[in-house]
Amino acid sequence: MGGVYAVISIGLTLVYGVMGIVNFAQAEFLMIGMFVSWFAWAYLGLDPVLAAPLSFAVAFGIGWLVQGQLIARVLKAPSVAQIFLTVGLLIVIENGSLLLFGSQFRSVTTSYQTMSLSLGALFISVPYLIAFGMSLACGLALWWFMRTSWFGRAMRATAQNPMAAQLMGIDTALMYKIAFALGVGLTAFGGAVILPYVTVFPGVGGQFVVLMFTVVVLGGLGSVAGAVVGGLAVGVIQALSSLFFPIQLQNLILFIVFIFVLAVRPQGLVGASR
Amino acid sequence: MKRWIAILAAIAIAAVLPLLLSPTGYWIRVLTFTLLFAAMAQVWNIIGGLANQTSLGHAAFFGIGAYTSTILVLKFGISPWIGMFAGGFLGGIAALIIAVPTMRLQGHYFALATLAFGEVMRVIANVWTSLTGGPVGLSVPFVPPSIAAYSFKQLLPHAYIALIALIIVTFIFEAIRRSAMGYRLRAIKENPAAAEVIGIDTTKVKLQTAVISGVLMAMLGTLYAQVAVFFDPDTVFSAASISIRVALIAILGGVGTAIGPILGALFIIPVEELMNDLFSSGAAGLSQLIFGVILIAVILWRPRGFITVFDSLMARFSNKARS
Amino acid sequence: MTILDVRGISRRFGGLQALSDVTFSVPKGQIVGLIGPNGAGKTTFFSTLVGLIRPDSGSIQLDGTSVVGQKPHKVAALGMTKTFQNVALFAESSVLDNVLTAGLLRHDVETARREALICLDRVGLKSVAHKLAGNLSFPERARVELARALCTGPKVLLLDEVMAALNPVEMQEIMDLIRSLRDDGITLLVVEHHMRAIMTICDRILVLNFGRLLADGTPEQVANDPVVVEAYLGRSMEAHK
Repeated sequence: MGGVYAVISIGLTLVYGVMGIVNFAQAEFLMIGMFVSWFAWAYLGLDPVLAAPLSFAVAFGIGWLVQGQLIARVLKAPSVAQIFLTVGLLIVIENGSLLLFGSQFRSVTTSYQTMSLSLGALFISVPYLIAFGMSLACGLALWWFMRTSWFGRAMRATAQNPMAAQLMGIDTALMYKIAFALGVGLTAFGGAVILPYVTVFPGVGGQFVVLMFTVVVLGGLGSVAGAVVGGLAVGVIQALSSLFFPIQLQNLILFIVFIFVLAVRPQGLVGASR
Repeated sequence: MKRWIAILAAIAIAAVLPLLLSPTGYWIRVLTFTLLFAAMAQVWNIIGGLANQTSLGHAAFFGIGAYTSTILVLKFGISPWIGMFAGGFLGGIAALIIAVPTMRLQGHYFALATLAFGEVMRVIANVWTSLTGGPVGLSVPFVPPSIAAYSFKQLLPHAYIALIALIIVTFIFEAIRRSAMGYRLRAIKENPAAAEVIGIDTTKVKLQTAVISGVLMAMLGTLYAQVAVFFDPDTVFSAASISIRVALIAILGGVGTAIGPILGALFIIPVEELMNDLFSSGAAGLSQLIFGVILIAVILWRPRGFITVFDSLMARFSNKARS
Repeated sequence: MTILDVRGISRRFGGLQALSDVTFSVPKGQIVGLIGPNGAGKTTFFSTLVGLIRPDSGSIQLDGTSVVGQKPHKVAALGMTKTFQNVALFAESSVLDNVLTAGLLRHDVETARREALICLDRVGLKSVAHKLAGNLSFPERARVELARALCTGPKVLLLDEVMAALNPVEMQEIMDLIRSLRDDGITLLVVEHHMRAIMTICDRILVLNFGRLLADGTPEQVANDPVVVEAYLGRSMEAHK
C-alpha cells in the first residue's frame, strides 16, 4: 500500500513545494481519477489500471484551469485566503460530483481481482501488486522528468526562487500551472490504479485526505523523496496498527502521528532542519 | 454615540424579532441556529481573526461541550447550566493540550494540525462507546420544562438564550480587541519577532487566546445540544459542518471584525436552510455546491468579506449626503 | 557602575563563525558605537544580546542579571531592547499603536497611549501619529522603530542604523536625541555606517570584524589604531578614492 500512498501524496507535496500552497482539495482529484477510470471501464470496457493515463489527463486539464483561473489570484494573498479557496474547491468538487453521479457506491470487476501470488509464506494480492507497480513506474517517470528535462529544472528553479527564475526568463505562471496540473494529475492516476480494490463515491476523498496529509507531513511538505518515504512509513504504521488495534483506531493512530510530527518536526522526518 | 444607538437598535430588533415568528414554526428554528452559529463564528474570530491562527478544529471544543453537559444530565441528573461550565472547563483544557504543541505553527501548518485534532476527537467519541454511546449518538433526556433545568416547551426561549450568548461573546471579542491583549495580538500577527523584542510574551498571549476561544466554544456546544436534543459524534465533531463552517461564516462576513461573523451567519444559515428546503429531495449537494461557489467568489473578489460591501455602500451614502 | 557585561560570546551558523569570543562591559550612561564592515556580525550581535539568537557559549549580564537563554520578551522586561535594521514595524497599525503596544510592557492602555505620544514627540513624529506605519517613508519608519523601542522603558537601548538615509538636519536631530536619552540615564549601543556621526556622539567605540572584537577605545584611539585602519577604515577610504 505504501507505494500507492506515495504516488497520491506526491501530487500534494509537489503543489506545496513549488507554490507554497496546501491544497485541501487534493483528495478530490483522487475521486475524479477514480470516476474517470470507472466510466472508462463501464462504457469503454477499459481496464481501470490502463485507464490511469486517461484519469491523469482529465485531472491535468482541470488542474490547469483551476490554477490559471482561481489559485493564481491568491498566490500572494494571506494564507487564510489560500486555505479557504482550496476548501471551497473541495466543497464544489465533492458536491458537484454528488449532483452528477449520485451518492451510490461503484466498483469494478476485473479478472485478477481476487487473485493473489504466493511468495513463500507471504500472500500478495494481485490488484495491490499492480497498483504498487504502476505507482512505482509513475514515481520513477516523475523523478526522471524533474531531474533531466528543462521543465523539471525550470520548475525547481521556480520553487526555490520565483523572482530569480522570472529574471532568467522562466514563465513562472506557466510553471505554476504545470506544477498544479501535474500534481493533481498524479493523484488522479493513483486513484485509477486503486480502483480495483476501492469503491468510488463522491465522498471517497474524505477517506484518503488525512492519509495523504500524514504521508506528506511525515516526509516533509514539499519534498518528493520525502513523500515516498512518508508513503512507505504510513503503509507500515497502518499494517502494524492493524495487528494491535481495531480498525476504527487505526485512523486515530495516524492522526496522532500526524499532529506529533507537525508539532515536533514541521519540516518532516527526512527534511533538513533549517 | 451614533455607534451605540446603532448597536442598541440592532439588539432591540433582534429582541423583538423572535416574538413575530410563529413560536413552533420553522423560521424560529432557523433564527435560533443563525444566532447560535453567529456566536460560534464570533468565538472562532477570537483566535482566527485576532490571533490570525486559522483553526480548522473548533468542532473539537464544540463537541466536548455538547457531550459533557449531556452526559452529566444523563448519568447524574446535573442541570445543563452547570454542565455548560464543566464543558467550558474541559474545552479549555483541550485547547491547552492542542495549543501547546501547535502554537509555533503558522498558516497552513496550524490549519492542518487543528483539523487533525478535530478528527481525533471525532474518532474518540465514536470509539468510546461506554461514555458517549458511540456512533449511535446521545439524546438529551426529557425533563419537565423549567429554566433551572434548561428545558422548554417551545423554541422561543432557546432563541433568546442564543441571542444573549451572541451578545456576550461579541462583547468579549470587542473587549479583547480593545484591550492590551488586542494590541499584543495585532503586534504578533504583523511581526512576531518585533513583538517579542518589545516585550510581548508571544507564546503566553497565543495560549490565552486559544483557551478563551476553546472555553467559549465548548459552552456554545451545550446550547446546541439543548436545542438539537439529539446528536452524534459525526455531527458535533464534524470538520465540514462545524469547524470549517464557523470559520467560513467569519471569513465571509469579515474576519477580525465584531460585525463580520454576525453578517456571515445572517447570510449563510438562512440561505443554506432555504436551499435545503427547496432542493432537499431533488438534488442532494446542490446547496453545498452553491455554498462552495459563493465561498470561492467571495475570496476572489471580496477577500476581506461582506463587510467591505457595506463599507463601500456607506461611503457612497455619506458622499451623497454631503453633496 | 557596569550595566552591561558581555563575556566570551560565540555563535556559529553552519561553517560561518558569526561571533567569536566577544567580551566587553559598558558602564551606565555611556554611548557606545559598534562599527565594522558589512557582514562583521553587528546585527547578529544585537540579536544575540536581546535573545533572538542564542549564543553557543558566553555570558551576558544586564544590570547584574544573566539574560543568556532568556526569551526576548524577558530581556525587554529586564530593560534591554533593540531596533530592527531592516525595520520591523506593525505595518497595518497606526504609528501611535506601534509605539503604544511597546508601552504596554510597563503600563495599562491609557498610560501607554500618553507615554507613546511623549516618545513620538521626542523623535519628532507626533504629527503622523495616526498614519499607518506602512505608509511612512523609510527614514520616518526608522524613527518609529526608535520611538517604539524607547517606549518599552529600557535601561539599555540598541540602535541598529536608525540614521540610515537621513539628511544632515534630521541626522543632527537624532544625534541630539541620543544625547538626551543618555542624559536620562539610558545606556546606548549604536550601530551606524555614518562615520562622522558615530565619531561625534560616541564616548567609546567597539570595532567588530569577522565576528571578532578588533578594537575597543575612544573614538581617537580607534581612529588611529593601525589594525582598525587596515581592516576597516583603510578599505572604506580606498572605496572613497
